[in-house]
Amino acid sequence: MTRYAELQATTNFSFLRGASHPDELVITAAALGIEAVGIVDHNSLAGVVRAWRAIKDLKGGDEPTTRALTGCRLNFADGTPSLLCYPSDREAYGRLTRLLTVGQRRSEKGECELHWEDFLQHAQGQLALVVPPDRLDEAFERRLGQMAGELRGRVWLAASRGYGARDLHRLSQLAGLAAASGAPMVATNDVLYHGPERRSLQDVVTCIRECCTIHEAGLRLAANAERHLKPPAEMARLFARFPGAVERSAEIADRIGFDLGQLRYEYPDEPVPPGKTAIQHLRDLTWAGAEWRFSKGMGEKEKQTIARELALIEECDYPNYFLTVHDIVRWARGQGILCQGRGSAANSLVCFCLGVTAVDPTKEDHDLLFSRFISKNRGEPPDIDVDFEHERREEVMQYVYDRYGRHRAAIVATVIHYRPRMAIRQVGKALGLTEDVTAALAGTVWGSWGDMSPDEYIAQVGLDPKAPEIRRATALAQELLRFPRHLSQHVGGYVLTQRRLDETVPIGNAAMADRTFIEWDKDDIDALGLMKVDVLALGMLTALRKSFEMLPPLKDGTVITDIAHIPPEDPKVYEMLCAADSVGVFQVESRAQMSMLPRLKPMKFYDLVIEVAIVRPGPIQGDMVHPYLKRRDGIEPVVFPAPAPEHGPLDELKGVLGKTMGVPLFQEQAMRLAIEAAKFSDDDADGLRRAMATFRNMGTVGDYGAQFVAGMTRRGYDPEFAQRCFKQIEGFGSYGFPESHAISFALLVYASAWVKKWWPDAFCASLLNSQPMGFYQPAQLVRDAREHGVEVRPPDVAASVWDCTLEPVEGRRLRAVRLGLRQVKGLRETDVETLVELRDSGVRTIEGFARGLPHRTLELLAEADAFAGLGISRREALWAVKGLAGTFREEDQAPLLARQSLQEVQVELPLMSQPMNVAEDYRTTRLSLKAHPCSFFREELVKAGAVPAQALKTLRDRRWVSVGGLVLVRQRPGTAKGVVFMTLEDETGIANVVVWKDAFEANRRLVMGASFVVVHGQIQSEAGVIHLVAKSFTDLSHLHATMKDDDPDRDPRRKPSARLVSSRDFH
Amino acid sequence: MRQLHAVNTPGRLAGLFVGQKATDAMALVPELVTAEAEPEADAQALTELADWCVRFSPAVALDPPDSLFLDVTGVAHLWGGEAALAGDLRARLGANGLPVRVAVADTPGAAWALAHQGEGCEIIVPPGEQIAWMARLRPSALRLEPQAAAQIERLGLKMLAQLFALPRAPLARRFGADALTRIDEALGRSKAALTFRRPPNPWFARLAFAEPISQLEDLQRVSHDVAARLCARLDQEGQGARRFELAFHRLDGKAHALNIGLALAARDPARIARLFAPKLETVDPGFGIEVVTLAASAVEPTAGRQIRLDSLLDAGREDALAPLIDRLANRLGEERVWKTVPVESHVPERSTAHAPPLSPPPPAARWDLGTPRPLRLFRKPEPLEGVISLIPDDPPRQFEWRRRLHRIRRAEGPERIGDEWWRIDIEDVRTDRVRDYYRVEDQDGARFWVFREGLYAPGEPARWFLHGLFG
Repeated sequence: MTRYAELQATTNFSFLRGASHPDELVITAAALGIEAVGIVDHNSLAGVVRAWRAIKDLKGGDEPTTRALTGCRLNFADGTPSLLCYPSDREAYGRLTRLLTVGQRRSEKGECELHWEDFLQHAQGQLALVVPPDRLDEAFERRLGQMAGELRGRVWLAASRGYGARDLHRLSQLAGLAAASGAPMVATNDVLYHGPERRSLQDVVTCIRECCTIHEAGLRLAANAERHLKPPAEMARLFARFPGAVERSAEIADRIGFDLGQLRYEYPDEPVPPGKTAIQHLRDLTWAGAEWRFSKGMGEKEKQTIARELALIEECDYPNYFLTVHDIVRWARGQGILCQGRGSAANSLVCFCLGVTAVDPTKEDHDLLFSRFISKNRGEPPDIDVDFEHERREEVMQYVYDRYGRHRAAIVATVIHYRPRMAIRQVGKALGLTEDVTAALAGTVWGSWGDMSPDEYIAQVGLDPKAPEIRRATALAQELLRFPRHLSQHVGGYVLTQRRLDETVPIGNAAMADRTFIEWDKDDIDALGLMKVDVLALGMLTALRKSFEMLPPLKDGTVITDIAHIPPEDPKVYEMLCAADSVGVFQVESRAQMSMLPRLKPMKFYDLVIEVAIVRPGPIQGDMVHPYLKRRDGIEPVVFPAPAPEHGPLDELKGVLGKTMGVPLFQEQAMRLAIEAAKFSDDDADGLRRAMATFRNMGTVGDYGAQFVAGMTRRGYDPEFAQRCFKQIEGFGSYGFPESHAISFALLVYASAWVKKWWPDAFCASLLNSQPMGFYQPAQLVRDAREHGVEVRPPDVAASVWDCTLEPVEGRRLRAVRLGLRQVKGLRETDVETLVELRDSGVRTIEGFARGLPHRTLELLAEADAFAGLGISRREALWAVKGLAGTFREEDQAPLLARQSLQEVQVELPLMSQPMNVAEDYRTTRLSLKAHPCSFFREELVKAGAVPAQALKTLRDRRWVSVGGLVLVRQRPGTAKGVVFMTLEDETGIANVVVWKDAFEANRRLVMGASFVVVHGQIQSEAGVIHLVAKSFTDLSHLHATMKDDDPDRDPRRKPSARLVSSRDFH
Repeated sequence: MRQLHAVNTPGRLAGLFVGQKATDAMALVPELVTAEAEPEADAQALTELADWCVRFSPAVALDPPDSLFLDVTGVAHLWGGEAALAGDLRARLGANGLPVRVAVADTPGAAWALAHQGEGCEIIVPPGEQIAWMARLRPSALRLEPQAAAQIERLGLKMLAQLFALPRAPLARRFGADALTRIDEALGRSKAALTFRRPPNPWFARLAFAEPISQLEDLQRVSHDVAARLCARLDQEGQGARRFELAFHRLDGKAHALNIGLALAARDPARIARLFAPKLETVDPGFGIEVVTLAASAVEPTAGRQIRLDSLLDAGREDALAPLIDRLANRLGEERVWKTVPVESHVPERSTAHAPPLSPPPPAARWDLGTPRPLRLFRKPEPLEGVISLIPDDPPRQFEWRRRLHRIRRAEGPERIGDEWWRIDIEDVRTDRVRDYYRVEDQDGARFWVFREGLYAPGEPARWFLHGLFG
């Protein structure tokens, strides 16, 4: 049997060239009996880890039959023929990654400019296959001779048989060249896809790359489908006239001693002071931290836990990891940047003592077994993500670069995949469909992660789903889906190393200035066991820090500067949350969370953990929510699903599901079910866990479904329960949410709820000062604050600064919120600073401000009614500001004119009506304190049969009723297919509307487009949660136009645009 | 960000508006059919419309993106008044599917304002009454900067009447001298300067005769004369034309037109007359012909091509060839005279196309010299009998074609060519739909291009074809 290794396999990480995933290539190669596959993407190593891991997964326990070789096709900018470069050992590999880093750093994002000189400097230990050009000429012959001389004994000439007209002629020529130059000829098949059936897709990506249609592409396409993996015997037949060429490939593979498994991780040693070992240092820091956290003394239980955790950390050799995270967190804290860790390892007592989190895991009820989250045999580093204030995250990122250097710290990549819209758009274009057809096809995909368009939708947009062109486009787009499209930088995942990072992975420029990122994404990093620290941004942390600055000290004198300072388990806070009074509170402010709060009735911290985790695709798809709520309410007894007696103890799941009343809610529990109940092996469980983590990209979770359900059913579990558990796992796949994250989030829920409960003034001001963030717009936050007794004052040049501030109110505990000038659209912060300086120096007139501020700024202030505090109305102010323009523009040249202007004729401007005033408020500041727009239309609303939103609370269940208001939010969540949730607001309050699929389809335009609407429907009330189930609608959007117009009998055809507020739509 | 550039009436009724994000519009109306906005094409269309409007008034000015000014001073009486003119204009455009709003007023400014904001689609303002007619329009009717217009409204000045009533100085201070100018122009206090577009000179010549002619010789003579007249002008401007229409207008008002086409743009009157000559017999002069006209189209510059020194030889050849080709084409029909040009396709049948004989080769396409192709390619491959070959992809040893046995001495191949999968249903696409082509030479040195259809499958007889001959 001929030995053969395919040394020229291009994956789809050579974007728009390769037409197979790396794993498809290596798995096919293994099936064909090919000894090794060399992954050689164009100037990139982006696909090599995936190929390597696929082989590793494939092996199981058996001896490997196929190897995934790590290589790279080097294309040169100076006309040197391309090289297939294979590092022979770890050191050579480091030189290859450095070479690619050099090329990428000197180019734009995604490009790599290399010269032969660069290669020579990094050539030691590289095995090189020269790729001959299409036309063999003397220049190539000369070049080949030189290269063979320079890389003596490590250079070969790659030859392939692509079934061209003159293949054998060309091969003979190549054989001659090889003999003459001393670069022996080696057979490859120049593979672009794993099987011939991918030819169509390869043609399509070629068209996308060349920006042409398939009809224009002509000879840019391949003539046939031969560039797939071929078995050794077939290769031997094709190269029968050139003995040795095929076998030589395997000999080269034998000489490649490098394997990605040799990348051994080395931690950065910065955080460890000289003379100490890492674990010593971690011990010292932890015990010192324990003193600080447990100032009132520490119990025996805590001491034991710390000791146990430290022992485990030492055993797994993770002290460096904890030290590195601690180092970043400590620095941020020193800068006054609020942060909070989350993730499995974050919920350890060690992390609590190190200040990485504020969650005390020893607290009753938390019961977080740290050891459960660090698995000794997984061999992967623990997972800690740290959230920082979103406005100051960049500072932290720059610190990481400063501390570790750009050659040792870089951001991880995110592989951007083809999504349905993009896939159908580009495939359609390549196939020559017109723009309107592809746009219509793309338009049928609702939501960026939707499934591909079903036929009925295609028919609905007026296209024939049976038409060959349409079928071709959708079929190929389906194939293109999940192909990598380009690399982008991860939001905040850093990889840090001890030795030069560019000796482990190529580093390239990001689109953003001052950012560099590596070619591998977090799955690759995980697979290789490299350390990653996630530096993420969270708006609520910004808001909390800003609110802390406005809070008075607690009764015991504590000044709140940290989340841990907030008094725990305050019953009043839970009372507020139980009433779904949660606008602005972290996580639980969404519609779905708000309707869950009164049903779940959180009374203690762990309830919040469940609250955060339960409104997620996992538990919802697994239909776990209702069983849990029933058990909580005592309607259903708490029983644990059990196997048949002969298969194990009946309470085998008590440990897994104990905290959640026998209902699996967290991702960890689902995983434990796979192990405990379905008896997954460690490897299978690991595979399932990884499939979950990458479900959105690859959709491989389903492969485990049968095994999971069969495993549980075989052992006597209820098949229906097993089925549901697996649905839940699939749900986690699309949005995984483990308990460890829920705990960290729950703490922020509690902290923000506490601030809202006791200091709604500071809460409102700090949220406004942290915009954009959260779910609600400033108008709703202000409204909520006012409903909680907070006085809100308008932005005013006489009193406001950039941010919202608090102003004392005589005789009241709560201060008034003075809106900042940041609310005025279009203003710049620097101009506002100038304004405040002018005001502080005594300026009180428009003319005075005009001397220091740009004219446009004054116009914006005037239009926003910000001169009202000086007693100047909106129109007067604008008239005055406009009048000044000429003065100051011409002042320098013609002072005479300026003086004249002071005596200009007084002009009487019409008074602005109140509705128009409100409309102008909305236009300039997105909210109005003067009145609610709906209050002007109560008459029309009554005529349309609408009751005030407030009245819903007092009406009985199932009653038919109508409510009208502004549309604030429209949502069409993926978990509730076809259902649209609308949030309406009138002058009395908020109404939550549910539009079922039928009503939606019948009123689609109105539901999606109206800005002011009356909904006719039926009240549905459950546990204090009131919804209006829509039956029909009356569109009142046109009425807004009348607000902007104080002349009632104007030509209606020329009304100003009707839109007053634009809703936030999630689709 | 893609957004809506224009919306038709059903779209507007469905809640779409100009400036809306395209994704929002698609969410609102999923069955929405869109076309790419082509502002350049719109501008072009407006220009064409302006030229067409010359029939109403010689003075037409463009006001992009969507308006035209016509100076109808002293013209309206031809239609029987301004209303009749406006009605005729609207009816003609309406018949062509172009909805239009028309306003006639003393000043361009007032006409523009009323055409854009007035009530109704046809407004005729009696002389001197524009102030009253414009009173209730919005400030934006004055063609101000959009931001200035919006601010004027925001001050509560929502009707032009309010604006006209304001003292002029404060207004000018705030909204610039421009605003005043616009007001004055609209009200006729000052004159607006419009840039009128002169219609392009049509390539057209005309000869009228004192005595009607009807003899064939006369027709020949006048066709030359009229051609000479038009060609003189073409020559003057360095232009030539590829199409000519010669029309004979008879005494009874009927006209007979003849057409010729040329391979290369020309302006030689003798040659043009020669090409018309054979067709003159078909002209029925009736009671006599009083006028002959000649119109040229496909007019293009020719001077540059002819005076280039390095192309003298080439030009000479073409000039010699062109009259022949023109004669052939005008006798046999244009579609019967062609040359072959390469088309980039791997499939041999598709790799050539017919092109006009003297057209320049398309720049992109080329013959690929690396893949030899036979000089003569059969339109349909011919099946071969008695083929003996070793498998799987060896060339044939011998075959029988047109009852003659050919023994193969030399061969090269296979060259494997897959089908063009995008021309068949995606469900039917198969990887074994290929042809393996061989260049073979028989015992007499004759060379053939043969192929085996489909991938080799054990047990299935191979099907062989001959597709072309070399040399």
